[in-house]
Amino acid sequence: MKFLKRLTLTAAVGLAVGWTATAWAETAAERAVNEAKKYSGTTITIVWEAGLQALDPLNFSGPKWKELTGIEVKVVEAPIAEMFTKIMQEYRAGTGAYDALNVVPAWMPDLANAGALEVLDPYVDKYGFREELQKIAPTYRDNQMTVDGKIYGFPDDGDTFVFYYRKDIFGDPTNQAEFKSKYGYDLAVPTTWKQFAEIGQFLTDKYQPNMYGAAFFRSPGYGQYMFQERFRNEGGKFFDAETMKATINSDIGVRVFTEMRAENKFMPPGVEQFGFVENLAAFLQGQSAMTLSWPPYGRWAAGYGQDVEAFSWVPKSTIAGKVGYALPPGGHPQLAAGFALSVASTSKNKEAAYLFIQWLNSEDVSMQRVQLPYALRDPFRDSHFTSAEYEAKWPDAKAYLATLKQGAETGLLDLSLLQTDKYEEVLRQAISKLWAGDDPKAILDQAAGEWDAITDKIGVDKQKAIYQGWAAKSGAYPQ
Amino acid sequence: MAGMAQTNTIDGASGFAVAPGRAPDRYFKYWLIAPAILLLLAIGLFPLIYSLIVSFQRVTMLDEDYSFAGLVNYAQLFRDARLWQSLLHTAIITAIALPLELILGLLMAQLFLERLPGRQIFVSLLVLPTVISPIVAGATWRLMFDNRYGPINQILGWFAGKPVAALWTVNPDLVYLGIILCEIWQWTPFMFLILLAALSNVDKSLTDAAEIDGAGYWRTFFKIVLPAIWPVMAIAILIRGLDLVRIFDIIWALTMGGPGTMTETISVYTYVQGFQQFETSYTAAMAFLVIVLLTVIVTWAIRRMGLAK
Repeated sequence: MKFLKRLTLTAAVGLAVGWTATAWAETAAERAVNEAKKYSGTTITIVWEAGLQALDPLNFSGPKWKELTGIEVKVVEAPIAEMFTKIMQEYRAGTGAYDALNVVPAWMPDLANAGALEVLDPYVDKYGFREELQKIAPTYRDNQMTVDGKIYGFPDDGDTFVFYYRKDIFGDPTNQAEFKSKYGYDLAVPTTWKQFAEIGQFLTDKYQPNMYGAAFFRSPGYGQYMFQERFRNEGGKFFDAETMKATINSDIGVRVFTEMRAENKFMPPGVEQFGFVENLAAFLQGQSAMTLSWPPYGRWAAGYGQDVEAFSWVPKSTIAGKVGYALPPGGHPQLAAGFALSVASTSKNKEAAYLFIQWLNSEDVSMQRVQLPYALRDPFRDSHFTSAEYEAKWPDAKAYLATLKQGAETGLLDLSLLQTDKYEEVLRQAISKLWAGDDPKAILDQAAGEWDAITDKIGVDKQKAIYQGWAAKSGAYPQ
Repeated sequence: MAGMAQTNTIDGASGFAVAPGRAPDRYFKYWLIAPAILLLLAIGLFPLIYSLIVSFQRVTMLDEDYSFAGLVNYAQLFRDARLWQSLLHTAIITAIALPLELILGLLMAQLFLERLPGRQIFVSLLVLPTVISPIVAGATWRLMFDNRYGPINQILGWFAGKPVAALWTVNPDLVYLGIILCEIWQWTPFMFLILLAALSNVDKSLTDAAEIDGAGYWRTFFKIVLPAIWPVMAIAILIRGLDLVRIFDIIWALTMGGPGTMTETISVYTYVQGFQQFETSYTAAMAFLVIVLLTVIVTWAIRRMGLAK
């Protein structure tokens, strides 16, 4: 009898282990698909950035998900500047119009504290996704996923600023000799902003008007990211951690602002109006020798995917094979925006929405998505950076991925506080005043004052706790 | 059959046929229009009243505090320098664009008063900008002002004999000019149409008589034509003035209120506060301040222009 009891117990344990092992033998993507089939016939709505970003769910992941599970994916496109507003408005209205969301990680504290995002931990555990989440590159995993220790989103876009330069121009022996003669050091990828300015001026003096030393997107929305990056690389701190007084108007901030404006002199005329597309066009058409931007520039400069119809608006690259990739001067690029996949707390299809984002973010599916020629999702998992398939996409793809990986490892997080957008709006206006010719010190003094007013309104102690938590992260300030 | 025939009478008050022996329902016509009136009141008044209530609360992005907060938002209005600057920017744009639209519209109307060949076609073409959505007009002008791809700097460069890099949406010396150019391009045809109609209805015998009596062109215009078209002109000025106070689309498309907040009008600032910063209660208070200011100005304008007679 005793033996029979032991045998039964052993068999039961064995079955349980075997069942669990079988269940977890399937990948997270497969698990999501199998579990989602019970929701076949339903429709889930996902908010996605308008334009190229949305081509992923419209042309690839949405149709594929429907094919696999029978769930229709409806994409609500919104310009990035309006996404936060739309998400908050829908949450306040409580209509349940949105199921899954794309969320810029810097918005997460605000959205999570407002209650707009669903806590994902129970779903992650239920569907066994924790292990795959650990394989997201640490910078994104540790800093763009949780608020107060709870998971609110899956990092899904490895945004980081990359420094692009013309290898052929830098490698030209005549340029090298002339530069060395004038400045006393080798013409190479600049590691400081002083070097960048000297190289930029040198190349502009030699090649203008056909080519300028550099061009950047200077419109305020992008410029404020560049200020955040450069200010911190130069040693600046956003706040005094004890008093929460803004310190962006320090000598460092003033110097950064002054230098940023001075650099416009060797950039193409009208660079102050350059947005993403204008800067891209200038670089792809060989009109600038150096630039800074998100990873897609590197793919498009290499000519990758340019035969796709969705890219008919992108100027054809005249510099394929001539582009080098590096970290920006200072060595710590801004991670600049990025996206995480979340579930709306007011969704009426939370589980279906969760399973969709687990599938999207899984190793298998994300590997395909970051290689889509028309989408803007950039590598964000360790496996993406070392993918043999990706490395074979164009001759320099391996070096490109290596640079992205380096950027992910050394990158600086976007400032993320309560009501971050209010602080960023002040920076956007400061940038536009800078291009308008106002005095940098006066601009930053006013900006610091406005930041202090925002902090006072939110509550100094409340914001201080959030800031100290953010500043303690390894990617907040250069280590 | 005898005795069965009835003759209805018409009730003078309601206008409806009333059977003999029945009291007329004098209020029937009001009952008929009541649903439409109630619907209009609900659509028009309800948001106004709700906004007023919200303006006395503390509803923000982080905090939905619906308790009565007194005049805290209204007190903030007077401490908000950016608000008063936005009102100043609005006044500047209105003060410059409105007279220019009026003068240009009048000149164009005078030009097209005569029966010229192809007049109908020219008038139709002239009116096209008015039918375009303002945000599209703003976006189009932004492209035209673009330094690299826009035609305006190119054309200026032909005249200057060298490349012109005028930054119309960034240079503080040019932003207002850019906005006003776009605004005038789009809305002068509106003035033109209204004034053309008004001028067409001026009694020609009066102007002919003045000419016979030896009155010059300008004397005739100011003494006869202008007084005749004044009521219509005043309405056009009022309508365009109110539109200019509300200007948003063109500015958002061209400058988004920049550089800095240099071209931020009251509508732009209200949008930023309400939809980007989620300062819902404060935005409601701002809206009521604007309603009060506009009511005072419009009432004064109506009296001053003689439209209240």
